[in-house]
Amino acid sequence: MRCLKADQIYLYLEKELTPTEFQKIKEHLTSCPKCQKAVEERKILLQASENLPLWEIPPDFARQVMERISPKKVTLRSWLTAAAAGLFSISLALSIFFVFSGENFLEVVFGLGHRLLDLVRTASVLLVKVFKLASLLIKVINQFLGFLFKGLIRLTSILNPEVQIILIVLTVILSVTLIFGVRRKFVGGEKS
Amino acid sequence: MDEDKELVERTLKGEEEAFVMIIQKYQTSLFNYMGRMVGERELALDFTQEVLIRTYSSLHTFKPQYKFRTWLFKIASNFVIDYWRKKKLDTYSTDQPFGDDEKASFQIPDDEPSIAKKYELVQLKERIEQALKKIPPSLRELFVWRHINDFSYDEMAEIKGLPVGTVKNRVFQAKELIRSLLEKNT
Repeated sequence: MRCLKADQIYLYLEKELTPTEFQKIKEHLTSCPKCQKAVEERKILLQASENLPLWEIPPDFARQVMERISPKKVTLRSWLTAAAAGLFSISLALSIFFVFSGENFLEVVFGLGHRLLDLVRTASVLLVKVFKLASLLIKVINQFLGFLFKGLIRLTSILNPEVQIILIVLTVILSVTLIFGVRRKFVGGEKS
Repeated sequence: MDEDKELVERTLKGEEEAFVMIIQKYQTSLFNYMGRMVGERELALDFTQEVLIRTYSSLHTFKPQYKFRTWLFKIASNFVIDYWRKKKLDTYSTDQPFGDDEKASFQIPDDEPSIAKKYELVQLKERIEQALKKIPPSLRELFVWRHINDFSYDEMAEIKGLPVGTVKNRVFQAKELIRSLLEKNT
């Protein structure tokens, strides 16, 4: 048998040969120092390769993966727990405040209640007055517009169309002059 | 039915604890594979997580006639290929031939120097790790599967979709390349 090639040596060392091939190589090795040395060399390398140190994985790795796969859903129960915790914290803070300030809890609560009641009472009286005033104003404006409308109807029935046109034109001119006059007064006032 | 297939079935029925068991079973081998492929611990951890998440989301496509470990590492291998492609490193191709695979010759020269005996085992392992980083990723991948993950040649051939003979030759090439790198460093 010829001297071994590297691939044959690996197959021999990894026991990837048929029994006949394995036997042939084994026989050759007994009489060939060069191949013996080559086999020994690769045997050591192979052993070292198969025992390379393993990289350590963090102990909570599986949990981390699962958290990414199915992030925890916020359930109604957790909401209720959070609300209860909040309520408890507020109660605790208030208790600490009353214990250290020496205030009477009931007095403070009643005092606050009275102030709130006074505020509501005052505000409601004010609101009623505002509503009464507003309704009165609406009634006055309504009556004034009614009189104006009736007066115009009577006037148009007395005057002939030409006079009506002259009157409308005069009213428009008067209105425009009035608006511009007022505007000029205001603008002039601002400039000075 | 084997354990993995049973765990897959239970996961698909909504039992998350079954997938936790799958993770715990494969996390070390997957992480060590990723670690050797990307070279950085944190990146390898991220990638291992990503691969497991991809595996979970495509679990319904797993066909029970295949081996789960083979399927899992196929996902991992494709993930690594995508990573190298995105980084535009043309050094990586799983089908990249290294000479003529089937006819690759590994003649032993008469004056072959002895490398292995010059180092203590710990030193030798360190040098192998360093040399592993320098060999082409496609050879490194097969070397890691064979010698760190303890895969059979048949499994590796199934993952890569290559003939068993080709896979064997590439693993030998990886080992001889490592050996020659060790030789150069002495």
